Amino acid sequence: MDEIAIAWKALTTTWAIPAAFGGVIWGIFGGALPGISPSIAMALLLPFTYGLDPVTSVVLLGSVYVGAEYGGSIPAILIRTPGTNASAATTIDGYEMNKRGQAGLALGISLSAGFVGGLFGLMMLVLMTEWLARVALLFTPPAYFALGVLGCSVVAGLSGGSVVKGWIAGVLGFMVATIGTDPVSGVPRFTFGSPDLLGGIRPILIMVGLFAVSEILIQVREPPWDKADARDTRLRFPDLKLWKRLALPQAIGGVVGTIEGLTPGGGGTIAAFLAYNESKRWSKYPEEFGHGSPEGVAAPESANNVVTATALIPLLSLGIPGSNSAAILLGGLLIHGLSPGPLLFERNPDVAYGLYAGLFVANIAMFLIGLVILTPCIWLVNRPKPYLLAFIFALVVSGVFSIDQSLVDVGLVLLAGVVGYFMRWAEIPFLPMVLGVVLGYMVESNFRRSLQLSNGELMVFLEDPVSLGLLLCAAALVTYSLMRERRNKKAETGVTP
Amino acid sequence: MFSQTKTTIIGLATLLSLAALPADAQPKYPHATVTMVTHSSPGSGSDVFLREMIKYLGPEMGVNFVVENVRGGGGAGAVARVAKGPADGSIFYATTPTYIQTTLLSKPEFGYDALDPIVTVFYDPEVIYTRTQSPYRSLSDAVNFAKQNPGKGKWGAASPGSLERIALETLNRMTGARAAVVPHDGGGDMIINILNGTLDIGVGELQEISTQLQTDKVKLLGVLTETRISQHPNLPTAKEQGINLVVTKFRGLAGPKNLPANVVAAWETAMPRILANPAYKKYYEGENLVPVFKGQKDSRELTTAFAADTTKSLRELGVIK
Repeated sequence: MDEIAIAWKALTTTWAIPAAFGGVIWGIFGGALPGISPSIAMALLLPFTYGLDPVTSVVLLGSVYVGAEYGGSIPAILIRTPGTNASAATTIDGYEMNKRGQAGLALGISLSAGFVGGLFGLMMLVLMTEWLARVALLFTPPAYFALGVLGCSVVAGLSGGSVVKGWIAGVLGFMVATIGTDPVSGVPRFTFGSPDLLGGIRPILIMVGLFAVSEILIQVREPPWDKADARDTRLRFPDLKLWKRLALPQAIGGVVGTIEGLTPGGGGTIAAFLAYNESKRWSKYPEEFGHGSPEGVAAPESANNVVTATALIPLLSLGIPGSNSAAILLGGLLIHGLSPGPLLFERNPDVAYGLYAGLFVANIAMFLIGLVILTPCIWLVNRPKPYLLAFIFALVVSGVFSIDQSLVDVGLVLLAGVVGYFMRWAEIPFLPMVLGVVLGYMVESNFRRSLQLSNGELMVFLEDPVSLGLLLCAAALVTYSLMRERRNKKAETGVTP
Repeated sequence: MFSQTKTTIIGLATLLSLAALPADAQPKYPHATVTMVTHSSPGSGSDVFLREMIKYLGPEMGVNFVVENVRGGGGAGAVARVAKGPADGSIFYATTPTYIQTTLLSKPEFGYDALDPIVTVFYDPEVIYTRTQSPYRSLSDAVNFAKQNPGKGKWGAASPGSLERIALETLNRMTGARAAVVPHDGGGDMIINILNGTLDIGVGELQEISTQLQTDKVKLLGVLTETRISQHPNLPTAKEQGINLVVTKFRGLAGPKNLPANVVAAWETAMPRILANPAYKKYYEGENLVPVFKGQKDSRELTTAFAADTTKSLRELGVIK
């Protein structure tokens, strides 16, 4: 109970509560701007924390993370532009719901799923940190490889029909992931001597290009919306019946988000994809996925908000920043001369428990602020089409440029947009490609690292228990989806004589 | 958003310089505001280092310092920003080995040789470490094991093009251990592989493992400096353990070419002074930095020698042709 008293004191004697609200607002805007990732939104605020007291500054940074992971879903639903990597999976069904005039409901689901997910993650962080930290240590290079393979096994589920086309997209994604410095030898690959490509191509550039830019290219050919202003412009929350339906994807998001948050390099993006795919598999209405399923919005949004809390577990238990965002938070702690890791609880309990309490406030703040800003957001995107398209284009280009002030990045986004346009024309799905870009590096680098460690012995992937378990899961998932596809085909041919 | 950040930094710098006492009589620096460019993002290594340094440099030189983060391109963007800047002492680049490596690994328009080193201020000591449960008690233990069991050693380094990886490959060649040198994605993932026993030893900056050291999760086996470091006086260097391996991870400043002599002289005077400042000393010793002041002449030599060494190593590794 002492901990609660310490947390309460930390909250009430500092500026932590206003910081939580301010951080969430900043985070939502940062997350909603295409290109500004949660970690960049946090980094931009970091210099402001130099003069603040330690509790206020860590709460501020943690709240930006919470807000940004949620904020990414707003443009994903409204303008088919994932604001953050982790909101790419939300784009599919969120935008479909929007097209059917259910933008208000989609945003309501994403907000409530994110809120519940955030609180669930916080519970894991507060209660299970010590136990989960041991799980994080089980992940060796073979286990990371297997985790990546498990991630790839969802490609079939994301292909929306043709598995072959899904794999074409997935392989394209892998190819993009090979650009940059070779993960083992250090040889620059496909960089053509350009220093801008040494670090590889960030997945967000591919996503923004594929989704947003290709949508602009498609929309400019279409006639304006007939009655743009007549569409639903109010935020709606799911009713009780829908809530019951969303409980399962919400829970899947919770479990997947917890595991992905623990593993450095995994993070919200993979969590969101896995949660989306698993919800589809377990759903009673799998056919609705891809055509505006509310479950397809709830699952990824739940998962990526769980990660905002669980990603802090390796940082607070082992002192290891598992993600870019956690690294910024680490920076925030170091500036104040605080050491992260278990010592924080001993030496500066006010900061550790203050951060927990602050994250709780931040989740509530996210919900309240979401209530206020979403209705004007929906109104904003229901303006006449030419204005909206010009607005999105400006948003995309300026957002991407502002990350590194790099015109190369802007060029890459536009190029990805053109590629996306032709992929839509050929009906090749985007998501497997995004997954390939996100997972390619992780799969390749850990495969090669494992072989280095085992002197080229492939058995290493079956000898490591975690790796074996994950690979068996992946095999089971692939077999299951292949069988289901065959059954569906049989059923179809049975109906048409 | 970036201009916002910048404004705050200017504000902070101004506040700090107002709060401090005016510098004692020395020739006035030709600029009231000086921009310090770093390739690292706010809150990470070089950035925090610079911001801490200007707290002491500002009052010493009577200058408002502004930190500008020019990210991207492995430091090439930041180098270009300074190389194209005016050669009058109003803009500098915070150097680390990164800018030399980027030049060697790619063909940026402006490489490290487009800048002129001014001063070298610190070395980041590199240490070899392992988890506490490990049977190794010194670097020579670990190396002897690897020698007696060729191909069995598992050594970890941060990233594939890093100085740390080059150091371990050099160690391999020196000892004939043929250990697997496994590069990682930065640092976090490597520390996990040390803690769970996947790797025998890891190499990195002392600062990176300070948390794990404080909680007794890892132990130090040796330090890759010329002489022992003050933070760990009982930790023998690799040289003392019979292994001739020294890694020079420097931090300093470089500017556009052809800077006026009075500017260079001002820096060469100011730097040793702030290094002697007790408050700053407390900070940098806490950060595990080793002060090594070098003026322009020595810094130039250091840079040239470092670039030649790294080129040779990267060639031997087959990374560049």
